[in-house]
Amino acid sequence: METPRPTSHSDFLVNKKRIRVLGLSLDDAIKIFFGGNAVLSVIVLALITYFLFQEGFGFFGQNHRNLLTYRQAGLEYVDFIRTQESGHIALTRYLSDLRLRQYNEYVATQKMLPSAANDALAKFDEFAVQYGDAVESIRGMVSDLTEQATAIKTKFLIAEDKKIERQQLLAAGKIEAAAAVKIETVDFAAELHVLKGILPLYKETNADFAKKLDAALMAAPKFTTPELSARFDRFKELTRDYLATFPSTTSSLETWDYTRPVPWYQAISAFLFGREWLTASFWQDWYGIVPLLMGSIMVSLVALVIAVPLGVGAAIYINQIASAREQRIVKPSIEFISAFPSVVLGFFGIAVLGQSLRWLSQQAWLAWVPGFPFSERLNILTAGCLLALIAVPTIFTLAEDALQNVPKAFKEASFALGATRLQTIIKIVVPASLSGIISAVLLGLGRVIGETMVVLLCAGNRIAIPDFTAGLAVVTQPVHTMTGIIAQEMGEVVRGSIHYRALFVVGIVLFFLSLGINFIAQKIVRKYRISIG
Amino acid sequence: MSPSTRHEFQSRPSAARRWESAVLWLFRTATYVILICGALVFGNIVFKGSKTVFSTTAPFINVAFFTEAPESLYVFEYQGQKKEMGDREFRAFKTTHPEAKDIKAESYVYSAGGIFPCIVGTVLLVMGSMMIALTLGVSAAVYLSEYAKQGRAVTLIRLAILNLAGVPSIVFGLFGLGLFVIYLDWNVSLLAGWFTLALMVLPVVITASEESLKAVPKGFREGSLALGATKWQTIRKNVLPYALPGILTSSILGIARVAGETAPIMFTAAYVVRDKLPWEGLSSVSDFFFQGVMALPYHIYVVSSKIPQNEYTERVQYGTAFVFLVIVALIATCSIVLRNKLRNRYKW
Repeated sequence: METPRPTSHSDFLVNKKRIRVLGLSLDDAIKIFFGGNAVLSVIVLALITYFLFQEGFGFFGQNHRNLLTYRQAGLEYVDFIRTQESGHIALTRYLSDLRLRQYNEYVATQKMLPSAANDALAKFDEFAVQYGDAVESIRGMVSDLTEQATAIKTKFLIAEDKKIERQQLLAAGKIEAAAAVKIETVDFAAELHVLKGILPLYKETNADFAKKLDAALMAAPKFTTPELSARFDRFKELTRDYLATFPSTTSSLETWDYTRPVPWYQAISAFLFGREWLTASFWQDWYGIVPLLMGSIMVSLVALVIAVPLGVGAAIYINQIASAREQRIVKPSIEFISAFPSVVLGFFGIAVLGQSLRWLSQQAWLAWVPGFPFSERLNILTAGCLLALIAVPTIFTLAEDALQNVPKAFKEASFALGATRLQTIIKIVVPASLSGIISAVLLGLGRVIGETMVVLLCAGNRIAIPDFTAGLAVVTQPVHTMTGIIAQEMGEVVRGSIHYRALFVVGIVLFFLSLGINFIAQKIVRKYRISIG
Repeated sequence: MSPSTRHEFQSRPSAARRWESAVLWLFRTATYVILICGALVFGNIVFKGSKTVFSTTAPFINVAFFTEAPESLYVFEYQGQKKEMGDREFRAFKTTHPEAKDIKAESYVYSAGGIFPCIVGTVLLVMGSMMIALTLGVSAAVYLSEYAKQGRAVTLIRLAILNLAGVPSIVFGLFGLGLFVIYLDWNVSLLAGWFTLALMVLPVVITASEESLKAVPKGFREGSLALGATKWQTIRKNVLPYALPGILTSSILGIARVAGETAPIMFTAAYVVRDKLPWEGLSSVSDFFFQGVMALPYHIYVVSSKIPQNEYTERVQYGTAFVFLVIVALIATCSIVLRNKLRNRYKW
């Protein structure tokens, strides 16, 4: 970039001779250098999208095969019955919760001794055992079928591996070795015939199961308080609903056909709407983004609920109310907070905040807060609080800029009409800069949703959709997030495997999510900007 | 207040006024809650970390922490005394005390020794990536604002760059993994980390540089061109010097961001542990670029998630976090102070 310094005024003479290399003057060369760099940056940035897609796109084909195997090997068939079994498990869990409540009622309200309370619950226990044991025959059937279906799947996967091996050998030119590779073709029809042969037995067992449940319900125990009785009525109702699903299970077993093709779009919808992210399982891997997406959204929501009032409030205070001296101190201090590395904040969450919040939740005088007390140290709340600290400087700085851009005349006119300071702020200044404030909040959201280290360390990393029936207490549950799962699992997966590609697709979703948020933020600023003057 | 002391035009207390001051106090509280939270985090890390980093005896700094590599810590009881030793010391102790050979010791990984390789790795990563980002970024900004014809294409490029600034860092990490580590087959290496980090800050550097170039008044360029200077002479003498402070500030801010990020280097450059320093055991120059390094942020992640929390491991956890926080905070403070100083330097 260094050019010879002009030594005399003759440098600037118009007809000065210029050095030309390959027909380019120095100025042209410099222009090309800059242009080349610009093009390079743009190309490389464009490559980001390309490589994300290149690695991620194969996922859908693989997922399709994955789903196809699920059907062909009969795993789907077994899962119909398994769903029925897990439905029963959920009901027994409800029952044991009921027992705990009744026990607490006996001990706490009626001041019974623990042994006396247990005696009083004897009839209930008898009922619970009868209810719980009813499923045994179905359970045994499921475990037998599981073994059979797994065997078929393993056989099929081995055959697929052998096929690949042969192809590789052929590609390497080792024809004899390739011919020596034995491939056992799996005859799905014959294999599944055995599996489907269980249907009559299932029908018989199932009818028996239903009868047992009915019988158990007849001999239902009584409860002491109306609240518990109501709960038990609800339980009865749930059981009846559960029994009502039996015919549809039977019919789906009857009509099930392994040759039915899996439509291509199911590979995509199973990802986008799949409620399970289950990897490295012995049975069937599921790649559904919903639990991760919900986790990310919940954590970001908590962060925004905390960060927006604080960030916007502080911006209003600093821009409209604070003295110049306060401004000079506070503004850089808040900007300084934005320099905290996220991994340090994550560490702070593990070391200090998680424990402090749990301790706080176990204080008796705070028991009225929904979700308190909680036992999980790392959960949505812990991660959300730390993310709020990350979002606040972003929101504050951008919102303050927006307030700064409101023309002075607006404020002066308002004061001249006799409005107070608060009226001016709430009715004039904030509405005038609302578009800027909203976009500041959106950019804060973008920052939070893409944050990795804090959620990886502090969100609890349990892959499950948060239980929204808990109301506000949902924030005390641990979750896993999109960014967290990429960071956690990318180091361990085999390159090119379906799991690896699934993580790239999660990356693509994140990419478009952040682009979308950015785009909306810019759009809002442009559309609702007040024209000045 | 009695009526005699009240001025005729003095405002009277009223419900509206009380309401107003209450709301204004609410805003003030919000501001100070933020500051207090920030101070709490900072204070906690500094307070607990300084126990590791400083010592009460001369030279008042825990030199070993800054010059040694991490090693396992062994805690054991020997002749009624509780002893803590690093890996090497423990082995030496066993050889000098044969009777202690089968002694039972609790071990904590990475909890003894220091963080020297991590500091070296972070410095290397930051320097390399900033060099790449500044060359590409400032050139691209000069081209976009000085040379390129302002039209549709340039607007589109600008929009793309602006949007890329908001892409999560983990996505850049994935991209680096896909392009550099796998496609170009650089493996987990310094080079892959440099490029990944550089691309991550590139949008920030381009946008900020362009903004400071734009802030130089048009008259400066026109005057120079009218005197017969070439375009490059104009840019070099009359545009860049005035835009330089802004460019520098933004690039320092970029350094803080590069140094603070963990996600992009997780799969592209960082090793959990590596016993060789980057300049040791190289068979050729190119080996230097194709080796992974340890890095401070990744080390913090490892020590805070992979080992349990107790009084022995806490020292290295807080110590590392403290050193890292101070480094990043210093860089950021520099840029904030610099910007506030330079903002008022040129007025036109």
